[in-house]
Amino acid sequence: MRRTLPLAICLIMGIVMMVQFFVPHPISVGFYDLTTKWIRIVSAFALVLGVGSLILYHIDRLQRKRPGWAYSIVTLIALVGTAITGLGWGVKPGAPLQEIIFKNILVPLNASMFAILAFYMASAAYRAFRARTKEAALLLIAAFLVMLGMVPVGAAIWGKLPDVAEWILSVPNMAAKRAILFGVALGAIATSLKVILGIERGWLGGGK
Amino acid sequence: MGFWERLLKIDRKIIFIVMAVLVLFPLLKPLGLGVGSGPRAKAVFDAVDSIPPGKTLLISVDFDPASMPELYPMLVALMRHAFARDVRVLLCGLWITGAGLADKAVTEIAPEYGKEYGRDVVYLGWKAGVDAVILGMGENIKNVFSVDYYGHPLDSLPMMQEVTRLRDIPFMVAISAGTPGFSDWLLYGHSRYGLRVGAGVTAVSAADAYPYLQTGQLTGLLAGMKGAAEYEVLVQRHNYSKAYMPAVAAMDSQSLAHIVILVLVVIGNIAFFVTRKRGR
Repeated sequence: MRRTLPLAICLIMGIVMMVQFFVPHPISVGFYDLTTKWIRIVSAFALVLGVGSLILYHIDRLQRKRPGWAYSIVTLIALVGTAITGLGWGVKPGAPLQEIIFKNILVPLNASMFAILAFYMASAAYRAFRARTKEAALLLIAAFLVMLGMVPVGAAIWGKLPDVAEWILSVPNMAAKRAILFGVALGAIATSLKVILGIERGWLGGGK
Repeated sequence: MGFWERLLKIDRKIIFIVMAVLVLFPLLKPLGLGVGSGPRAKAVFDAVDSIPPGKTLLISVDFDPASMPELYPMLVALMRHAFARDVRVLLCGLWITGAGLADKAVTEIAPEYGKEYGRDVVYLGWKAGVDAVILGMGENIKNVFSVDYYGHPLDSLPMMQEVTRLRDIPFMVAISAGTPGFSDWLLYGHSRYGLRVGAGVTAVSAADAYPYLQTGQLTGLLAGMKGAAEYEVLVQRHNYSKAYMPAVAAMDSQSLAHIVILVLVVIGNIAFFVTRKRGR
């Protein structure tokens, strides 16, 4: 029963929601409106599960003294500190969450993390970006043209360079991206059908 | 150890210093390379320009402080464009870390044009759920956001009497640094409610947006710092703003940074092939 009931709900809701999409009747639209509310409520439970899972994972790391366990202390302190600040003083502008945690901790940390990427990218490109094979050489040339074409200096070197970069992005890049998108979409449809029809049962978790 | 071998093993601190100097130099002394306006940015500009005065532009602030240099100038330029044309601006966000950034834009840009909160601009804030949020906004915005970011009930805001669902919005721009972002607005807002969507994205994720441009699902695209700079130029060219253009100023730095990386790749490859030939 513990497995049959969720499977039955999944099958019924999966089929109903598929049919609902094509039925513009007020009852159908009303039902859809109701289910979007359910999704938001279920999402809230997922947040609780996520926070619980994060806490358990880091407590386990601490207990077993895994490599880098000190970072787990930082994570847990940050989690508890942010939660207390948010729950205690609210999240409105001017509250400590905004003024201290967001403006004075998150913004500079986040910006610094992203800013140092430029230095590591330059160093990594110098050491690793090699034309060892024909494919790598092709990638290198394409990257070269796009990087130059996307900045004003590229147009200053050769007026047609931005057009070449645009062509690379809108023809070969798009063809490859589209193929990946189709693959992902077909995979998602196949997986969804397997879940709806009860073939894929991993989401039910372990146990009998 | 020969010259090329030494070059291959160059201390990375030297690379860091070269990069830092060449990024900082144009910020202190601009090179004035100039920025044009590409067709993708022009498409977003034209879409905002075609919104009738009194109607609403929706901007989704889906980025965090890490992407602020590339994406925040887009948000500011879009708001200036809309306000200059008396178009109302509704903001929301799918990224919690973008909440403070949208608040900064609302509090700084709206007063420049004498716009009043609640009448000309509203910031809804952030809600968890992504697809549920967009789908909910398609049915009734008040179902998802009963109060705005500042705690005002939506019923008390004059602007929200006319904007009740996504179909009341002629155009939106999703400024996205990743997922969730413009693709979610396309999946749920565009396909389900016919919402016209433009996107502003970081340069690294611009390639992901191209399939949607060709199909017409995306009306236009602001790609990275260049896209932001192009939009700033368009806004100034049409006399909608005379303010400082941060993205245009940063383009010189980005040009030099790209050149540094390309030169390093060339040197690295020459050194690699020379040392490999000697090894044989």
